[in-house]
Amino acid sequence: MLALLEELVDSASGRSEYADVRHVRLREERVSTRSGGVEAATHDEEEGIGVRVRVGGAWGFAAAPGSERSAGEDALERALAAATAMPRGSAAQLAPEAPVRGRHVAPIGEDPFAVSLDDKLAVLLAAEAGLRGDPRVAVSSAHFLAFREERAFASTDGALLEQVTTDCGGGIAAVATGDGETQMRSYPASFRGDVAQAGYEHFRGLDLVGHSARVADEAVALLSAPRCPAARTTVVLDGGQVALQLHESVGHAVELDRVLGTETSYAGTSFLSPADLGSRRYGSTAMSVTADATTPGGLGSFGWDDEGVPAQAVPIVREGVLRGFLSSRESAGQVGLERSGGCMRAAGFARQPLVRMTNLHLEPGDAGTLEDLIAATDDGVYLETNRSWSIDDRRLHFQFATEVAWEIKGGRLRRMLRNPSYAGVSPEFWGGLDAVCSEPAWRLWGVINCGKGEPGQMLRVSHGTAPARFRDVQVGVA
Amino acid sequence: MAGPGGEVPLDVAVRALAAVPAGVDGAQVTASRERSLAQRFARSEPTQATSVDDLSISVCVVRDGRTGSSATNRLDAESLAACARSAAAAAEAAARSGAPAAFPGFAKAAAARAHHGYDLDTARLDPRVGGEALSTAFARAAALGAEAHGVWTAAEVQTAIASSSGLATVDRVTDALMKVTATAPDGRSGLATRAAVATRELDAAEIAHRAAEKATFPGVPVRLPPGEYPVVLEPPAVADLVDWLGRLAFSGLAYAEDRSALCGRLGTRVASPAINLSDSPRYRGTLPRAFDAEGVPKAPLPLIQDGVAHRVVHDTRSSALLGTTSTGHALAAGGAGLPPAPMNLVLVGGGAADELELCAGIERGLYVTRLWYTNPVRPRETLLTGVTRDGTFLIEDGRITRPLVDMRMTDSVLGILGRVQALGGRSVLVGDDHWYGRRFASGVVCPPLRAGAVRFTA
Repeated sequence: MLALLEELVDSASGRSEYADVRHVRLREERVSTRSGGVEAATHDEEEGIGVRVRVGGAWGFAAAPGSERSAGEDALERALAAATAMPRGSAAQLAPEAPVRGRHVAPIGEDPFAVSLDDKLAVLLAAEAGLRGDPRVAVSSAHFLAFREERAFASTDGALLEQVTTDCGGGIAAVATGDGETQMRSYPASFRGDVAQAGYEHFRGLDLVGHSARVADEAVALLSAPRCPAARTTVVLDGGQVALQLHESVGHAVELDRVLGTETSYAGTSFLSPADLGSRRYGSTAMSVTADATTPGGLGSFGWDDEGVPAQAVPIVREGVLRGFLSSRESAGQVGLERSGGCMRAAGFARQPLVRMTNLHLEPGDAGTLEDLIAATDDGVYLETNRSWSIDDRRLHFQFATEVAWEIKGGRLRRMLRNPSYAGVSPEFWGGLDAVCSEPAWRLWGVINCGKGEPGQMLRVSHGTAPARFRDVQVGVA
Repeated sequence: MAGPGGEVPLDVAVRALAAVPAGVDGAQVTASRERSLAQRFARSEPTQATSVDDLSISVCVVRDGRTGSSATNRLDAESLAACARSAAAAAEAAARSGAPAAFPGFAKAAAARAHHGYDLDTARLDPRVGGEALSTAFARAAALGAEAHGVWTAAEVQTAIASSSGLATVDRVTDALMKVTATAPDGRSGLATRAAVATRELDAAEIAHRAAEKATFPGVPVRLPPGEYPVVLEPPAVADLVDWLGRLAFSGLAYAEDRSALCGRLGTRVASPAINLSDSPRYRGTLPRAFDAEGVPKAPLPLIQDGVAHRVVHDTRSSALLGTTSTGHALAAGGAGLPPAPMNLVLVGGGAADELELCAGIERGLYVTRLWYTNPVRPRETLLTGVTRDGTFLIEDGRITRPLVDMRMTDSVLGILGRVQALGGRSVLVGDDHWYGRRFASGVVCPPLRAGAVRFTA
């Protein structure tokens, strides 16, 4: 395959200022059970070649299925035609990158595609059965997911790369209904659970069966729990909700294409500007954020991005001050960075790469365990498991909701509360961060539905977080 | 029409169906070819151009009331056979699992009606047409001192279905969309968008001019405190709300599972008497479909008439839960992971001439072009939250007076539709511009409307 990609790149080199060619093969398995039945058992594969060229400052990209020379040549001709038909662009210089050759295979334990479907269904049906003890549980569901991506890449700058990644995970959820009320609890996370760059051992380690009874009990208990009252108070978020908060109010805001306005019409812009680098206060001194494409197990980990830039760990925020952006070769060149942050990623073979999050982490603090943090909190609410999210197109004003909350009084969790929500303004909210739990409480949370681009691209990314405390937050807003 | 490698989708579907192993109770193969072109721009410069030509198949097999599915875009004989075997093996495993049967089998073949959703010129996908549209948009925005951001896109999608129940059918559709977000030097923005079956219906000059007018509307943005305000919603904002309503309340699966806002309310008033909502797959101005993902022919279905909720939509799986039949709203064969949803929603217009006439009845309120990042907070209540964007204005004494700082709306869709006071007479198609995964163009046909006491929380 690499030989074909090299030939295509050679063919493109005399007809474009820059070109890269990717061959991608995807394999995906999704198994889900719902209310005792098998909802879906699907196994999908696709492969194809995507060619990206730059002509007269304008980008053109075309994709064709298969791995044959004819597919690549067809894609190249259409990419050149698409670029040529565009009005002329300003042709910002790409940040330099040394050509690299190599192969990267992300390590996993047990191959999830080698485990029989019978075994997966047995786990899901057993976990789901554990959710259905109470007749008020109207819907029970359990999910398994696995993904494998094999990528080959060549560019006119001399890169020649191959890499293989495998992701796996799952989760359970119970929906309870009664008296016109509907409540949900999920484990280990909402929206089909938690996925990691790992093998079947990650799915097995989730112990869905062992958590099902608690999940169902909490869903039913929420039906009669008091509503979370409106107040300005102290909020403790579980690691999963911190991950969502980080994703929405930091991750997307520091994407340099948004900062530069090139995603204005769809994903939006950012409240940040290039001039903020090194001086803008993003949050309190307890806030340090790193974009790390080398984190073992992270869904945003790889050997090289889809421009052939090696995986890196990039400081984004240090002690509350903005220190970096997520960048590509073009956007890095536009703002005068020495090098791309290696954040160009594409979904499959039929999409061109965009500036996307790698694994974005909130560095752990020294607040101990979640129990320690609750014990050190006199009054507030503890919120767990994301349920709803919305943020403006500049990533400034947000409103999020979780599945459940508990009152904190005198350092202890008290009453369960239903329909918890909170709202804020990104830098003010992060400015209220005064405690992050310590490293043993820090873990990765997988996000499998991060969307961006036209045509749309859905990518997977992980966030390393620990439970954290925020002061003076408006809760009970919806 | 041949696809990559000279393949004809229906031929591929028939070959894959023949490769399904014996002993299964039923099978359906869907072959879908997408040819699409998307040309993006920002700050009045081109940014990305994406051309896709792909043909893939999906095989769904039924065994003892359980389904298994598999998909591939590798079309050689061995790959098709492997895909069919994979789907059959999944159905067999599901049957062995002891889980109860949930799928009654695919519908018998029925003839689908012809529609107007295909345009030959659009299917040519000439990138020069889009390039000219971009140049026009840049010039029109510049004429008002603004920059243009957005996308021009067109596609041809051919979908063929072959099934063991005798179906062998093809649907060919085209779609086109141009969206311009204009930005003024002070950072304000304005949106205009148009979707249609044919690219010739996209008037780049008119779209860019409308967007730039909003971005450069005179005045300094003012801020309103949270509270309840009367609103005039442009079609993009209305479409966002109605689309969510379709997915949350009119899903037959949510209804069967006691999660829908319409549980116990069919046959009762759920919205203002001015509200008439239907799923109308051949309505003039929509993006028509001949059949759903299970090959069931599309047909008009009234959902709300004079404010009274009448029906929810079903695929084969959800209809089986209630002992009824599919209404032709499957999004995936066998209902595998995707609940049924109406994809051709039409909200009937009223008597107001335009948005300005709708404003005339408001002493102090908001004019909203669109909502952004709208997501459900409590689905059963159809409670959504989202932020206004790209053209939010203050209405005072019946007219638009100045720009507003964007606000967060948190309210129930059915609640808003219950407080509708008037609707515009001119409906337009608002196209969905997401296209995650394989291209499946859809949109809502709706007019602008005026509603009272809409809740803004920030």
